[in-house]
Amino acid sequence: MSELRQIAFYGKGGIGKSTTSQNTLAAMCHYYGKKILIVGCDPKADSTRLILHEKAQNTIMQLASEAGTVEDLELEDVCKPGAGEFHPEDETITTGFIMCTESGGPEPGVGCAGRGVITAINFLEEEGAYDDDLDFVSYDVLGDVVCGGFAMPIREGKAQEIYIVMSGEMMAMYAANNISKGILKYANTGGVRLAGLICNARMTDKEYDLAKQLAKSLGTQMIHFVPRSNHVQRAELRRMTVVEYSPNHDQAMEYKELARKIIANDLKVIPTPLEMDDLEALLMEFGLEDDVEEAIVGKKEGEA
Amino acid sequence: MFICGYHFPASEGNDVSFDKVIEKVQDGVDATGKVVTLTGETVKGEVIVNLVVPEGTFAHTAFVDYFQNADVVGDSKMVYYTNKYQISEISKSVDGAVTKELCHNLDDMLLYRVKVA
Repeated sequence: MSELRQIAFYGKGGIGKSTTSQNTLAAMCHYYGKKILIVGCDPKADSTRLILHEKAQNTIMQLASEAGTVEDLELEDVCKPGAGEFHPEDETITTGFIMCTESGGPEPGVGCAGRGVITAINFLEEEGAYDDDLDFVSYDVLGDVVCGGFAMPIREGKAQEIYIVMSGEMMAMYAANNISKGILKYANTGGVRLAGLICNARMTDKEYDLAKQLAKSLGTQMIHFVPRSNHVQRAELRRMTVVEYSPNHDQAMEYKELARKIIANDLKVIPTPLEMDDLEALLMEFGLEDDVEEAIVGKKEGEA
Repeated sequence: MFICGYHFPASEGNDVSFDKVIEKVQDGVDATGKVVTLTGETVKGEVIVNLVVPEGTFAHTAFVDYFQNADVVGDSKMVYYTNKYQISEISKSVDGAVTKELCHNLDDMLLYRVKVA
């Protein structure tokens, strides 16, 4: 049996992190028979909906609130088997399976969302969710490393290899750089490493060049460029991954290739984040922003 | 890291030289006499570009290699976006003017399919 690998998908909010992670993990299971536990670490609790064919899973924090405390919960209450081919007892397509759990968080505006992540991971470990059958545990983590709670999977060395989902847009690249700073901070104490950037493309000009150059500057690789496809949305309307919905489609093949690379990946580095000036210089070099003179800053179109 | 579908061990770092990639791509591939054609299509599947890859170039060998080894089913094979950009990048460097127009096309956002005869 292979050693359990704990991976995490980080990225700016709205970048397509959950869609990318679920399709990639589905591909790892569907095509390569991998056995996976998904730990959703986003208060939205949408990290597993495409695997479960559900709107949103009951979260550990929500169920703990109903039951009284997290100690009142059983693993079966919070850890659900994937639907259809991802169910452990369904071996018609794959011998792999996907188990799903969501940490959840407090009501908006109340308390610390990161606390749910910490509570959930501790609970899952104590209850033996990380069993010997698994090949991968995957964490799907919200946005920038904005607080210690969301940095929990990397801070405590739970997630050992981090994949950052980004695009060629400035804020996505800013977030990728920021997440790299978080990884750097805990690299020596927790052993976490950056394993690559996944460009969930917006199909903007020179996006590949930009993503590749950012990856190179961070000391890592742009492991895969995932093109935009309406087929992903068609599958999502059915609450499915495109891998399950249409496994021979071009887009499913892209996720299959990304899955193959993640399974074989051994490039795990301590990142070298950029200074803000260097990041802006990169954006200008690849034409995302024109080099601007100080005199035109704040001027409307036609004024300067 | 991964270039043109090939895995280069972590010990080689994140900036593998084109020479090493070319060596790996050319290893075991006889592209001589093969006709490599590409079609570029929009997201709606409308083919708007037809290209022939010049023989004797890295791009030609790389597409033959891709066609033979890529884990994609079909008479013509969908080219992963990552691979088409990587092939273009290396071809621009080593094939020069011969593939300039081809690489200009490959750098766009169309989905390409390759056929080898």
